[in-house]
Amino acid sequence: MSKLLTVLFKECRDNVRDRRTIISSFSLAIGGPALFIAMMSFVLNTAVGKSDDPVNIAVVGAQYAPGLVAFLESENTELLYLDVADPKAEVEADRHDLILTISADYPERFRSGKINSVALTYDSSELGSVRRQFAQAREMIGRYARTLGMLRLQIRGIDPAVMAPVMVQEIDTASPAARALSLLATLPYLLVLVVFMGGFYLAIDSTAGEREHGSLEPLLCQPISRRELVLGKLLATSVFSAVSVALFLASLAIAIPFAPLHRIGMSLEITLATCVKIFLISIPLMLFGAALLTVVASFAKSYKEAQTYLTLVILVPTLPLIVTQLMNVEASAVLMSVPSLSQSLLINDLISSAPIDPVYVVVSAICTSLAAALLAWLATYLYSRERILI
Amino acid sequence: MIRIEGLSKSFGKVEAIRNVSFSAADQRITALLGPNGAGKSTTLRILSTVITADSGTASVGGCDIASEPMAVRGEIGVLPHATGLYERLTARENIRYYGELHGLKGTSLRDRVEQLIQDLEIEAFADRRVKGFSQGQRIKVALARALVHDPGHLILDEPTNGLDVMATRALRELILKLRDEGRCILFSSHVMQEVANLCEDVVVIGGGQVRFQGTLDELIASTGHNNLEDAFVTSLGDSAHE
Repeated sequence: MSKLLTVLFKECRDNVRDRRTIISSFSLAIGGPALFIAMMSFVLNTAVGKSDDPVNIAVVGAQYAPGLVAFLESENTELLYLDVADPKAEVEADRHDLILTISADYPERFRSGKINSVALTYDSSELGSVRRQFAQAREMIGRYARTLGMLRLQIRGIDPAVMAPVMVQEIDTASPAARALSLLATLPYLLVLVVFMGGFYLAIDSTAGEREHGSLEPLLCQPISRRELVLGKLLATSVFSAVSVALFLASLAIAIPFAPLHRIGMSLEITLATCVKIFLISIPLMLFGAALLTVVASFAKSYKEAQTYLTLVILVPTLPLIVTQLMNVEASAVLMSVPSLSQSLLINDLISSAPIDPVYVVVSAICTSLAAALLAWLATYLYSRERILI
Repeated sequence: MIRIEGLSKSFGKVEAIRNVSFSAADQRITALLGPNGAGKSTTLRILSTVITADSGTASVGGCDIASEPMAVRGEIGVLPHATGLYERLTARENIRYYGELHGLKGTSLRDRVEQLIQDLEIEAFADRRVKGFSQGQRIKVALARALVHDPGHLILDEPTNGLDVMATRALRELILKLRDEGRCILFSSHVMQEVANLCEDVVVIGGGQVRFQGTLDELIASTGHNNLEDAFVTSLGDSAHE
């Protein structure tokens, strides 16, 4: 037992001194939540902005179409009157996002009842609210044109309904809140990745790395059983995984208040108690991840080879998550037997403060721990074969 | 005392060693001499209990390698030819790690490590990380690590590889000192000069079989040559051309 701890401490100390391991293990954990919140803010701001923010339109030649301009002013807009020759250059130079250009022959054509055209200049490759503003401006101008057309028809004694035999009514049931929530559901996925990334490099360094540097053979000559040796390495990997999860939760707790969830009337608080629960639920997954990474890395003879294998392995535990998210699966006792999936479902419920069946927690912990034990046994077996040296 | 009787080992269809028998006495330096691929490493690996023989027996200090591998590991110190030190640990930490694996702890561990650091003249770089050490410094630290549990037997696998003249001389003196302390030293090499300078007994191994065992003088006398290299080639017989 004390030799197991010797190995555990040595691996941790050795890897704490490796910048590559530290960066790889903890960067996702620390930076992930910030990235996540930034994404969420972006979605919320562009989605929620739709209903409240006024449309900013710069108008060139406003004097030619006082009717249109008055109509736009009566809508939810902020108009800016410009006098420039080349609206395209203005947009390209980023001085204005959206420019409405009315040409000098507008009044003449208007009076004679000819088709008039106005130009909306914008840059559709621009991210953010430009495309939304353009769509809203086009819709307003279209509405003005339709109203005008109806009036003209009425004056001529024709029923305006002739012009619109079919009307389309748009009903979008996705609320901004729902969109934000679907983003929130990717959080457990991120957590599973954090668990695996935390142990990734240590698993490689303590197995394939040890082979590559020629330190495995003298180590195997020491009076320590293969089981203690492998378990020591595996637990060191779990420790890194645990630190990674703890950093992730701390970083998340700091970042969450920055998400503008109040804009959709939602409040999300990751309390210390929630953090502790998420951490506890993840512990069997950390052991499972460490054992899985160690087993696979044991087949590799070099860092590079191990990196190739493990990058693929990391995808495996995220697969069931993607599948269930696409299929919108509800938690059940059967699903609780699947490592990584059970944890992500439980964590999902924890975050959305849904009630959690304690039986599920127990089933998840037992099944994942059993799978971890099986893999740990396999790792020990691999290390007791002579092939490990050849 | 290391005693080997009838060891054979195959890897798949390749027969690495066949019916190898020899012994190495205490307080003597025995060279295991052979060309590359002769089976030296396989023999040493079986002795250090990291792989097991298909047939035959061997004992180190009276402990059987098959039935008491843990006791054997306590009896031998192994210096692998790639030193296998941990680059991010200091020299002292490397030595301590093996000491702890051998069950040393507390002041006895600290004292033993300190003593080795003095004996092998490691003081100047004992608390620096191994990354950046010269090959000579690495060999010293690896040797200290192999000696941390004060083993009666020492297995050195081509220890002078990559050493400059000064480092080789320093190592040679160290090995002689270790022999004088009563240890049994088994030394694998393919460098004649090395063997001639250091060893008393020679085991020539070629094509997986022992071709000669005896003293250096006996080897030279038995082959009728007066230089070691010719004697070595002659003793290998047909296996030299395989």
